Amino acid sequence: MSTASPFIVRKAAVLGAGVMGAQIAAHLVNANVEAVLFELPAKEGDPNGNVLKAVDNLRKLEPSPLSTSSKAGFIQAANYDQHLDLLKECDVVIEAISERMDWKADLYRRVAPHISDRAIFATNTSGLSVNKLSESLPQELRKRFCGVHFFNPPRYMHLVELIACRETDPAILDDLEKFLVTTLGKGVIRAKDTPNFIANRVGVFSMLATIHHAQQFKLGFDTVDALTGALIGRPKSATFRTADVVGLDTFAHVVNTMKETLPGDPWHRYYDVPAWLRTLIDQGALGQKAKRGVYQKQGKDIHVLDPATGNYRLAEGKADESVVEILKNKIPAERFAQLHASTHPQAQFLWSIFRDSFHYCAVHLEEIAGNARDLDFAIRWGFGWERGPFELWQAAGWSRIANWIAEDIAAGKAMAHISLPAWAMEPGRSGVHGPQGSFAPATHAYQPRSTLPVYRRQAFPDRLLGEDTRYGETIFETDGVRCWHTGDDIAIVSFKSRMHAIGDDVLDGVLQAIEEAERNYLGLLIWQTEPPFSVGANLKKTPAGGGKPGQPSAVGKFFRQFKRQAESLALKAARQLGVADQLMAGKLAEVEHLVEQFQYTTQQLKYSMVPTVAAVDGLALGGGCEFIMHCDRAVATLESYIGLVEVGVGLIPAGGGCKEFALRAAADARGGDMSPYLQKYFKAVAMAETGRSAEHAREIGYLRPTDRIVMNRFELLEIAKAELRALAAAGYRPPLKPRAIPVAGRSAIATIRAFMENMLAGGYISEHDYLIGRKVATVMCGGDIEGGSLVDEQWFLDLERRNFMELIATEKTQERIEHMLKTGKPLRN
Amino acid sequence: MTKQVQDAYIVAATRTPVGKAPRGMFRNVRPDDMLAYVLKAALGKCPGLDAAAVEDVIVGCAMPEAEQGMNVARIGLLLAGFPDNVPGLTINRFCSSGVQAVAFAADRIRLGEADVMIAAGTESMSMVPLGGNKPTYSPAIFEKDENLAIAYGMGITAESVAARWKVSREEQDMFAAESHRRALRAMDSGEFRDEITPFVVTEKVPDLDSREIKIKTREVENDEGPRRDTSPEGLARLKPVFAAAGSVTAGNSSQMSDGAGAVVLMSEAAMKRYAMAPLGRFMGYAVAGVPPEIMGIGPVKAIPKVLQRVGLRQDDIDWIELNEAFAAQSLAVMKELGLDHARVNPLGSAIALGHPLGATGAIRVATLLHGLRRHKKKYGMVTMCIGTGMGAAGVFEAL
Repeated sequence: MSTASPFIVRKAAVLGAGVMGAQIAAHLVNANVEAVLFELPAKEGDPNGNVLKAVDNLRKLEPSPLSTSSKAGFIQAANYDQHLDLLKECDVVIEAISERMDWKADLYRRVAPHISDRAIFATNTSGLSVNKLSESLPQELRKRFCGVHFFNPPRYMHLVELIACRETDPAILDDLEKFLVTTLGKGVIRAKDTPNFIANRVGVFSMLATIHHAQQFKLGFDTVDALTGALIGRPKSATFRTADVVGLDTFAHVVNTMKETLPGDPWHRYYDVPAWLRTLIDQGALGQKAKRGVYQKQGKDIHVLDPATGNYRLAEGKADESVVEILKNKIPAERFAQLHASTHPQAQFLWSIFRDSFHYCAVHLEEIAGNARDLDFAIRWGFGWERGPFELWQAAGWSRIANWIAEDIAAGKAMAHISLPAWAMEPGRSGVHGPQGSFAPATHAYQPRSTLPVYRRQAFPDRLLGEDTRYGETIFETDGVRCWHTGDDIAIVSFKSRMHAIGDDVLDGVLQAIEEAERNYLGLLIWQTEPPFSVGANLKKTPAGGGKPGQPSAVGKFFRQFKRQAESLALKAARQLGVADQLMAGKLAEVEHLVEQFQYTTQQLKYSMVPTVAAVDGLALGGGCEFIMHCDRAVATLESYIGLVEVGVGLIPAGGGCKEFALRAAADARGGDMSPYLQKYFKAVAMAETGRSAEHAREIGYLRPTDRIVMNRFELLEIAKAELRALAAAGYRPPLKPRAIPVAGRSAIATIRAFMENMLAGGYISEHDYLIGRKVATVMCGGDIEGGSLVDEQWFLDLERRNFMELIATEKTQERIEHMLKTGKPLRN
Repeated sequence: MTKQVQDAYIVAATRTPVGKAPRGMFRNVRPDDMLAYVLKAALGKCPGLDAAAVEDVIVGCAMPEAEQGMNVARIGLLLAGFPDNVPGLTINRFCSSGVQAVAFAADRIRLGEADVMIAAGTESMSMVPLGGNKPTYSPAIFEKDENLAIAYGMGITAESVAARWKVSREEQDMFAAESHRRALRAMDSGEFRDEITPFVVTEKVPDLDSREIKIKTREVENDEGPRRDTSPEGLARLKPVFAAAGSVTAGNSSQMSDGAGAVVLMSEAAMKRYAMAPLGRFMGYAVAGVPPEIMGIGPVKAIPKVLQRVGLRQDDIDWIELNEAFAAQSLAVMKELGLDHARVNPLGSAIALGHPLGATGAIRVATLLHGLRRHKKKYGMVTMCIGTGMGAAGVFEAL
């Protein structure tokens, strides 16, 4: 193997079609990597039956491991008896079978002769020793062997731990890292070959500590979850619900691995499956997959296990008001001080779990990770915490916290007696992360970030506390937007509003940015420093700098509740419409002016003299979606959730969204019958369809075939810039303004109405839904005119505006908006 | 009451098995080919008949477009190898098209203007969906509230009938399960053998391994619709499909199907000329309109009308083929007219056997005439409800 030839993944294989294997294969095809999925031959019927069943199951899993269900067809089914020769074509082979050393060893001996001499062979073991596993491989293959530990669900969890064995050629790790980062969009951490590696080691300890202290402080599991979820910057599923989702058997397995393999660990006595958990597992109550675990749904109520009695009771535990008050304090140092000082058992509980996990991380850092950055990212990307343990500690005031931990160790309150490592107690230490890098205990130095070429594609990688968080040089800044550049010839505009909602200040800012780009730059890029891209229109003027920016990975973190989450965010967006205020004040004219301004801005995005590119990540709803539809090009991460959702609050898209769909239907039909295309787009708008991935958004039609989908959100900016540059280099001219757009016309409106008439009669939609749908149909079909009539864009825009205003003047739409403002939930009226 | 100059007799009646749509055994069989096949089969049952003597071929089709468009009757008979002199006419009255074709054909004979007629029906719901490839409605529908029901799908009208005639979900599911039970019993005891001409399905498919075109052939001789795993309990678990709080489900509605049927009719003189024995005599036919939003009740108007015309009482009818568009409307019709379930659909109907819209009428005429003969019954009827609010009923006498 020549090190000079680039590593290209033409095809990849996954061995083992279990939960992880099948989902990894799914993510490979999400990334357009041809994937062969292997399993044992079925005992009867089609020998590939086991794989086909697993692939079929992928279509049913929630959240979907597939970007669109049609992707499932690209996973090639194979079995070890008939198809081992297929391995020769694969450049990456990932083993993901059960966590049994003997089974893995057998399989390795079987597949090794078939693996190509340029391929990388990697195990997705979650905790077995990679060195030990490598012993079953021929010497030559060990050089190309390593651990590649994905987190469940692999499409949504950013983390992949990369683990070398003693013989691994460092070059293949770099090659694989590039593949994982750019092609699969993952965040890679290099972990040492220690049991359970980094994320599970720390994450599972944190859960064990939580279980331990819950008992100490006599807190119910529901109360613990109320305390250890969003309130402290962790996923909503918190501790026990996460365990249910992961599977209690899996959790127990990981704990047992730690018990068996870490005999000398100072916390070893806690590496034990508690009796209540063992009972649950024995009863088959394995969590979500068994519909019973720590929690159980009974009718509409959620019940929680009482470990003392073994019975379930209604889950109604809440965080105490006083504790919530503490946790709401935005200053970490004060927050921790108050937790530490409080005598409330819930506060003491929280302090204890923080203390013990900080203690654990400090003691084990050198053994399990290269530096503190890797540990923090492992927990953030693998467990969905907003901040890693070291970041929290640092933010709270390193030395004060260190002293408190030391005091508690001395007082015998901590779970282990071992002292904090010397580096942690060094006088003057303010933390482990700084502009120069993150602390590495082995060298006692701050280690900068990886210099691998793949990271040059990330101008703004995920940031750690203490790192530089400035974004380029400002061109101009208003209340609504900041227009800036990174030292090159591309203007970037980022919104300052909460959830990047689009109000008049944002519209003005974007218009100004377009002018600026036309005068002085190659083109204009719309990119937000954090997701979401935008939750849509905000007709209410926001106070300058008001609101805090959207939290990073807010969506990814709650993947389990994705749908509900996306909906509720859509609703939040609508809440921000703020139109209610305007309405109450009778400012309909002002609303209409804003709609006009919105339409003017999207038209400017389309027809400016320089290319405009929308770089999309996360939610892009309503007006945000309309911005995308009008830019010359969209570059969207796979995890972009794009949709026109206006009907949810009784409105219709009026920023050119209906117009663009009408234009697209006419273009799709190529002079033929446009009704089937139009009906598809009508359905998207009328049912507020939101893409479950960028790929799905393209199937619906929000994204065009020319729009680009990227896998890693930290590469988004660079790729979007490259797209913009290519557009500019090709001698960019805006599209010619269409003057003769054929419309579907009045018969098409009647046909859509006929369809809705049945929905209404069947009780599926309300009279008001019908009215809204009718208005969507009216706009998209070009109004009450003959089919085939030719109109221009302004014709559609006038229809959008007029019908929007008619709806906003109805009592029912106003009720919907008000209801949303009050409850955050949609009203069906 | 009729002004006929001679009687019309059915001398042959046959059909294809009925396949499930859109993924059943006939998914790749064109409706014009299916028609040609049954026309040839019907002709084959009249060995002495010279095809050139057929006065006209009338074919019912409910969505006469695309694969069954143009004039499918003429195309079908030419594909079947009929001589050029034989004309063909396609007609449409939705679900009654097939029996309507029989009535029109009989009338030509009864009027003395023909001696040999063929009536048929063909429909591929796999290829041409319910509503056609491009459903489109007039804006005028919405100008008057009374016209709104034109836009109603059949399912919604079934819900209206269920509500107005108080047909419960349980009754509908029981009725549906009974349809399957009867159909299976009939199938197992060979009841359909007389009427079905087995069909050889030939499909050309790509073989991606050998890179060649593979020709798949298989002979089918049974209807694909009846399910042995159907039970009232299983049916009760299905969700309503047309109304959120409704009672009409996929399980208690007719199936979407592909199929064709053909009937040869002759005058007495022609029977003598071609040495044919009659299966039965066509007695009369009536259609009637009802409000479109309760289209399923249509037979309630058509049945008394035809009975009066042929001079029979309801009790005289031994066998009634009441097309099961929906269990809801079938039950409502039976309740309203006091029909005896024992005489209605003794071999099952559309819920189990399928409902290839425009072909059903011709198919059920074949079922009825062979059935009456086998079971030595005298009078029979084919009746059905029709979209946008109509009913049809034809009466036959077995000979």
